[in-house]
Amino acid sequence: MNPSGNTRTGGNGWPVATLDPIGRAKVLAATIPSAAFHHGVIDAPYDVVWPWVIDLENSTPRFDSQVDRVVIRHREQQGDITHLRISATSHGVSLPFHVRIEDGFCMMKGMARVYLVVMAAVPVDGGERTRFLHMEAIPLPDTGRLRRLIQREVDSDFSNLKRLAESGFPEGRS
Amino acid sequence: MEHLVRAAQRGDPEAMDALVRDLMPYVGRVCGAIALDRGDDAVQETFIAVLKSLGSLREPAALKGWVRRIAVRESIRLAGSRTVAMDPDTMPLPEVALVDIATSLDIRATLAALAPEQRAILVLRDVDGLSEAEVARVLRVPVGTVKSRAHRARAAFRGRWQP
Repeated sequence: MNPSGNTRTGGNGWPVATLDPIGRAKVLAATIPSAAFHHGVIDAPYDVVWPWVIDLENSTPRFDSQVDRVVIRHREQQGDITHLRISATSHGVSLPFHVRIEDGFCMMKGMARVYLVVMAAVPVDGGERTRFLHMEAIPLPDTGRLRRLIQREVDSDFSNLKRLAESGFPEGRS
Repeated sequence: MEHLVRAAQRGDPEAMDALVRDLMPYVGRVCGAIALDRGDDAVQETFIAVLKSLGSLREPAALKGWVRRIAVRESIRLAGSRTVAMDPDTMPLPEVALVDIATSLDIRATLAALAPEQRAILVLRDVDGLSEAEVARVLRVPVGTVKSRAHRARAAFRGRWQP
């Protein structure tokens, strides 16, 4: 994958296109029932925003008002890919998720497909700013009618994240 | 691969994303060479079309050929929707060794001078290694059309490299 999103030239000299993490998330958003996403630019460096976001235990409860607590149960590293099993507590109910984290792409899938969260980011303006996409869905058939509700959630989460990032991630709950 | 396709057909997001990752290098080569500057858009539209209609793919073993047809179709559609004039002086060429730059510029500039349908034939014949009959089936045109378009496309390449 090409994190910058520019068409490259392959080893044989022929042009090679690619799909950056934002495009990859948009493919899922366009094809998963009920998926809603918010996509925009955060005026904070990629090298600051992305490491903060993927520190899920600390980041998620601060920008997602529906999540009270995240606990990492298991961590496994495969090259550049991190696999986690986590528990996310929402309104007193603990939900298990499997998480896959790559540079610029994070997929959190609830067990039994109860919920899906995708976050994707690419550096823009030489890394000084961050293009960010936040997507959530209930990836089950016939859930399209829930999209409007989910859209409100992702809009709120994105707004919180943007505000936190652009104020330097101050300590304390959002 | 069959297990992955079946899981993606059932709507498993992890399988859908894994399928995208696995197919990305191949789809990127097809879309990059045909759609040029719209290549990244063509890749995205290809995968959206693939995942939306994956349920209609009965035989997972036919996946690559099926994806190839969609990638070619989306690349031609997008390349045709906005013709981009390629300027060898300003074309971005990240991560290309100096020794390769002249060849890469020639290939990009020559491809840009061809119609998207001609680029598709060159890619399928010379990069993907398909026969003329197979190319004709992908593009849904007669074999004779493939032969004549390929001849003109290769002549354009020879003319640029051997003036």
